[in-house]
Amino acid sequence: MNLERLPNEEKLTLCRKYYLGKLQMYVCVWGFAFLPFLWLVNVVWFFKEAFVKPTYTEQLQIKTYVKRSGLGLLLWVAVLTTWITIFQHFRAEWGEVGDYLSFTIPLGIP
Amino acid sequence: EAAYGQEMNIQFSDVSCNSVAQKIYVELNNTVPCVRLLNATHQIGCQSSISGDTGVIHVLESEADLEWPLSKGPNPPYMVLLESSLFTKSIMMKMKNASSRVAGVVVVQKTSPPEFSPHTTCPNENTGVYTETYDHNLAHCNTTVWNPRGNGLSYEEFDSPVFSLKEDNETEVIKQCYFDHNRVVNGSGLQYPLCAMQLFSHMHAVTDTATCMRRSSMDFSTSPVMVCDPLGGYNVCAFIRPYNSTAFGHKENESVVIAAARLDSRAFFLEDSTGAEGSVSGFVTLLAAAQALREATQEAPPTRNILFAFFHGEVFDYIGSSRMVYDMKNNMFVIDLDNVHSILEIGQVAVRSGTNLFLHSDPVSRRNNTVHDEVGVKCFYLWHASLTDFSQPLPPSSFQRLLRARAIPGIVLADHQTDINNRYYESFYDNAAHLNLTYPSNLSPEEQLEFVTDTAKSLTEVATAVARALFKQAGGNNSQVNKINADPKTVTQMLYGFLVRSNNSWFQAVMAPELKDILQPNPPQYYVGVAKSSHQANALTYLVQYLLANLTGTATNLTQSQCKKPDELPNESTYLYSYLWVQGVVPPNSTQRESFCVRTAVRLVKAVSPAFDLGDYISKEYSTWTKSQWKFIKARIFLVASRDLEMLTLGVGVAVLFTSLLVTYFVRTKADVLFSSVREPNNAAY
Repeated sequence: MNLERLPNEEKLTLCRKYYLGKLQMYVCVWGFAFLPFLWLVNVVWFFKEAFVKPTYTEQLQIKTYVKRSGLGLLLWVAVLTTWITIFQHFRAEWGEVGDYLSFTIPLGIP
Repeated sequence: EAAYGQEMNIQFSDVSCNSVAQKIYVELNNTVPCVRLLNATHQIGCQSSISGDTGVIHVLESEADLEWPLSKGPNPPYMVLLESSLFTKSIMMKMKNASSRVAGVVVVQKTSPPEFSPHTTCPNENTGVYTETYDHNLAHCNTTVWNPRGNGLSYEEFDSPVFSLKEDNETEVIKQCYFDHNRVVNGSGLQYPLCAMQLFSHMHAVTDTATCMRRSSMDFSTSPVMVCDPLGGYNVCAFIRPYNSTAFGHKENESVVIAAARLDSRAFFLEDSTGAEGSVSGFVTLLAAAQALREATQEAPPTRNILFAFFHGEVFDYIGSSRMVYDMKNNMFVIDLDNVHSILEIGQVAVRSGTNLFLHSDPVSRRNNTVHDEVGVKCFYLWHASLTDFSQPLPPSSFQRLLRARAIPGIVLADHQTDINNRYYESFYDNAAHLNLTYPSNLSPEEQLEFVTDTAKSLTEVATAVARALFKQAGGNNSQVNKINADPKTVTQMLYGFLVRSNNSWFQAVMAPELKDILQPNPPQYYVGVAKSSHQANALTYLVQYLLANLTGTATNLTQSQCKKPDELPNESTYLYSYLWVQGVVPPNSTQRESFCVRTAVRLVKAVSPAFDLGDYISKEYSTWTKSQWKFIKARIFLVASRDLEMLTLGVGVAVLFTSLLVTYFVRTKADVLFSSVREPNNAAY
């Protein structure tokens, strides 16, 4: 989808949809809190629109959405990195708990 | 058409598989790997990495030569090839500690060393009867160390693969490759390419039994992977007077004398287990005694019943005997512990000095007068054997598990007075040569089968003594005793079949037709193996079952279909007996076997550790041994290039990649310049 061909109002709607994660009217709004990938898409796709292009009416709102998506993304990255590091390091020592938390358990190593 | 077809055939036979892989790798087919076993607390055995371990082959000449792979050699990691005389604990531990430079070990079986036992010094010390609570002084072999030559190598953990090869064509290929490429020429160093070997033996299970059983039962993915299997098999049991096999629990007014022996053995390389002195001597003697007792017990049945019990899995913390005791305590066996009068167990009896035989007993239970009377005074009627020292405990034996449950009078018959006489206890040198089983060289295999060796004569004496003692112990009539004699021909045929070649005419006659493929030109395997969920036992169990059936059962004239369903006949009962259709002998003038139906009291009883039924994988009471699973195990040799050449090849490849990217980019940006001369004529045409 080429952003250049869309009128500005539609760009804003799209950015909001990716921010809220409300791709359909009936999707629960709590989806909002669990979508780091949608926020990544938001930041990457709309970065040029929000910060590089010359100003237009909807750009302020797009800027807010992009900033908030960026913050949410950073938070998610921090939480996931910490959890993944801890899990990979300590899974072997946690024994039974570690095994119950795993989906596939590697063969032949603790 | 016929000519054309022939031509096609010739063409097809000329085409051979010319793949590149076959030109690089030489697969080694007759290898025996060291695998991983786990119990409640440890993992033992060997593990390779998932993509195999590769190392430059180095043939070890002496212990001092170890310096080359461990420190001096310039091309680590090395794959060390050693002969069986160098397969000692000190060399293996040095290589274990230098695992970054030693990728694996290959042992080539040649001559036997003077003594070697990879087992522990105190076998089964935690699952016998001598615990701290039973008698503090006798626990952990404080008074007598049963296997002083034991170096515990089988119970060490190695994180590099260890394989075993026989001395044959494949080993010659390896040695040739080594001499061609890997020898240091005087003056100049080693030249690449070098001969290398790669060993794959990646084991799935880790840590201990509880972990691997838990991981086997987790069901998250679509195809759960079984990671380990419990060890186990079947015990072979036969009563002289059989009971209804569906009625479990206590039998009123029945008193049983148990005659026990051990079936299994192990070695460092599990699939290579022989076990001549360790287990064969015991169970062959018991089989011969069972045959000797058959006539006498049918003519004048003794007051007490006799149970011939062959326990499997005893090496791994008494799997078979602990299962039988558990079944007896929980009313899952035809008798229970109250019915057991006494037990006579046959231990290792083939390496006698002179005619000496010794009776081992348990000092703690002998403090009870009735027990002392049976054991110390009557000595189970084994008069010409001598009782060992009063304060000496029992050697490792199945009787210990019965003692753990009840103070039953019992004796273990053995050829050793204190520590065992077996120099090769639980190793792959405990074979026919160890028992001096020699045959004159000009005999054919069938003549060797019939030849009565000295070992056979010695075991026949023991079997006769055991049979007579059992008869008297079971309350048999004294006048019949002198007619009980073991048959040396049976003993020597059994020794030949179990230690030299199981595919012989007698074993063929005794086996069932559908099982005749288990008879091989080699001796059978004595390792207990994993407990299979189907009702399939291993070769050794079937051999003992059918032999015991032949030696103690009766031939009937039932037809084959009647043999499958004997209940329809008035005098036959599958509650008491089992009916086996066996091949029979080939009469001299025909080629068809005279098969017949044997009615026998022999039954196979499941022998899996109670710990797995109870789900208690950290049990200190029962055996918790499991064996890891694996995907494939193989070994191959090939020539390997130097690291520099590999890096150069990689560098050239990367350079080509970047060059081509640059060229493509360049061509793309200047496309209009480069290709304009081609376009114009097209434009001009339109």
